[in-house]
Amino acid sequence: MAQRITWGLAWDIARRDLLDLWRSKMLLFFFILFPILLMSMFGYIYPPVPKSNPNTGTIATAFPNLPVSIVQMDNGQAANQVAAQFIQISRQQGLFAVSESPSFQAARNQLVAGSLKGIIVIPEGFSNDLDSRQPATVQITVDETNPTTASVVQSEISAIFNIIGSQISNQNISAMDPGNSVNPSFVIQPISVTQEPLIRGTSSSFQFLAPGFMALTVITGSLQGVATAISREKEQGTMDGLLVAPVPHQSIILGKVAAQTVRGLIQGFLILGLSMILFGVQIYGSPVIMVIVLLLGTASFVGVGIILTAVAPDQETAQMMTVLLQFPMMFISGILFPIDQLPVWMQYIGKALPLYFAADALRKVIILNASLSVIMPDVIILVIYTFLTMTIALPLFERAMRR
Amino acid sequence: MTLQRTELGSLTGNAIETHGLTKKFNNFTAVDNVDLSVHRGEIYGFLGPNGAGKSTTIRMLCTLLAPTSGSAVVDGYDIVKQGDDVRKRIGLVSEKMIMYPRLTALENLMFFGRLYRIDRDTLRKRSEDLLELVKLTPFKDKLVGGFSSGMRQRVNVIRAILHDPDILFLDEPTTALDPQSTRFVRDLVKELRQRGHTIVLTTHIMEEADELSDRVCIIDHGKVMAVNTPAGFKERYNTNSLLEVFLELTGRELRDSANGRISMRAPMGRS
Repeated sequence: MAQRITWGLAWDIARRDLLDLWRSKMLLFFFILFPILLMSMFGYIYPPVPKSNPNTGTIATAFPNLPVSIVQMDNGQAANQVAAQFIQISRQQGLFAVSESPSFQAARNQLVAGSLKGIIVIPEGFSNDLDSRQPATVQITVDETNPTTASVVQSEISAIFNIIGSQISNQNISAMDPGNSVNPSFVIQPISVTQEPLIRGTSSSFQFLAPGFMALTVITGSLQGVATAISREKEQGTMDGLLVAPVPHQSIILGKVAAQTVRGLIQGFLILGLSMILFGVQIYGSPVIMVIVLLLGTASFVGVGIILTAVAPDQETAQMMTVLLQFPMMFISGILFPIDQLPVWMQYIGKALPLYFAADALRKVIILNASLSVIMPDVIILVIYTFLTMTIALPLFERAMRR
Repeated sequence: MTLQRTELGSLTGNAIETHGLTKKFNNFTAVDNVDLSVHRGEIYGFLGPNGAGKSTTIRMLCTLLAPTSGSAVVDGYDIVKQGDDVRKRIGLVSEKMIMYPRLTALENLMFFGRLYRIDRDTLRKRSEDLLELVKLTPFKDKLVGGFSSGMRQRVNVIRAILHDPDILFLDEPTTALDPQSTRFVRDLVKELRQRGHTIVLTTHIMEEADELSDRVCIIDHGKVMAVNTPAGFKERYNTNSLLEVFLELTGRELRDSANGRISMRAPMGRS
């Protein structure tokens, strides 16, 4: 049947679907709540990466005032001075709540019990080493049952001792070179590294996450929406009302897809807006190109939704199938973490999914202000996916509807 | 490109004409070689026990189901080759109500009417006239989700005739309605025949078939058992009740069958 798409009918069908959402206040509430929840949850799972500035001696932290304890085994003047400095810097910058423990064993018990996150032991002979012009050592122990906190504590303690250490070096060099003919930094750290940022401002992991989440929400939202909407209407019997009228099937599909895409876009931009307000994500690219990428991403995947509707016997099964499809896609399409972190064979699967290309293109647009020509490879692949899936989906839909 | 009405349809002038119409679901033959002819302007009672093939036949005639073999001409057009022409000329009231609960009565009518490309002004006028006909004008701006089954069915029936179809299929239109609504819908069906619609009516209520039908077709196991007027049937079987005729023709044992189609596509033929 060579029927042409009737745009007016598709528009009527789409508008009715959206009206349906608007009329159900409860559904609307959860529709808006979902992206808010998603975004804030991941906001706290992935805290913004703090940036320290070695030049000004500041250390930023995502975990302020963690409890640590100092075990002072040396009663020399140098040891006491270092401990006092450590406490002062920790307090000043809000890094640690520092207590003192009488012995390592006592501190260790507290750490095992969970009331301490780290132990700093200043060993016997510490002052002696420094006084006799030898490098001295402090020993740290962290709670290794929690790797994230452990690595934060470890790197922050090291950073504080670096600051204390370079102060001592400065004093030592000044003492050896009374005329100040040498810049102390030349001795301590002759080469320093500065970074020229790819993008203006500060970056956080949200800058990476937000575009991915946006693509994920819009694309899988429309995918699931289309599958659910069509099978629900089939089950309720209202699909008969559409099919018994002289309406081209393409108009029905287009109408359903359009309504779900609008819903997806609303949720996607909610996510973007929230991540801007709550987590300081900045947009450098054009919103128009963003919408184009999202529309293409949706188009590339919506055929899969139609195929699922055609194959699934009812709404419940269709829904289960879409969830099963979405869930792994979330992890292997480079949405939650960079795809390079995956084993190579999994990367191949991830890169075979259109979501990867949509998220990749969107990230480039949002973060790097990429133009359409820069993301053209992604765009072409998405267009190919659209044609492939639609070629399979349309005849299947046709058959399923008249079965 | 629109094809001309097929010769057969225009020659006989019948509203519906089928030849060897057959529908198989895997190994199960739901409709078996059925020949029907429905005259223009009549109410055609289409009766049969559960699983006899009534709804499957109707869904094929409405182009909602593709026949396995055989042919059917509806209002002069072939249901397979000229589906769109058929669809323009038929209306369907199926077992499941075709309406959206979160739309008002008028919005539902406007939505479904637009599918037939009726212009908005004409459609609004017609919807309001029909709402008046079924006495729902005071409720036209209320969501149908809050309607009683009787009210919903009245909206459902006028939804099917918005585009003034030549042929109207009514699949058990009074099932689950209270006596008042049943009376109202039956009178409405008569009124629609007066207005010139051809009506195919399926029902399990024999008094309804008796009261409304000009002719009755009894079908069982996918095959046509007999066609006659209600009076003709009663005379032939020497009884006052169409129910006795029906039981005589289709037997008295219960029809419990499970052919494995229950969980398949939603509202497929089940009677």
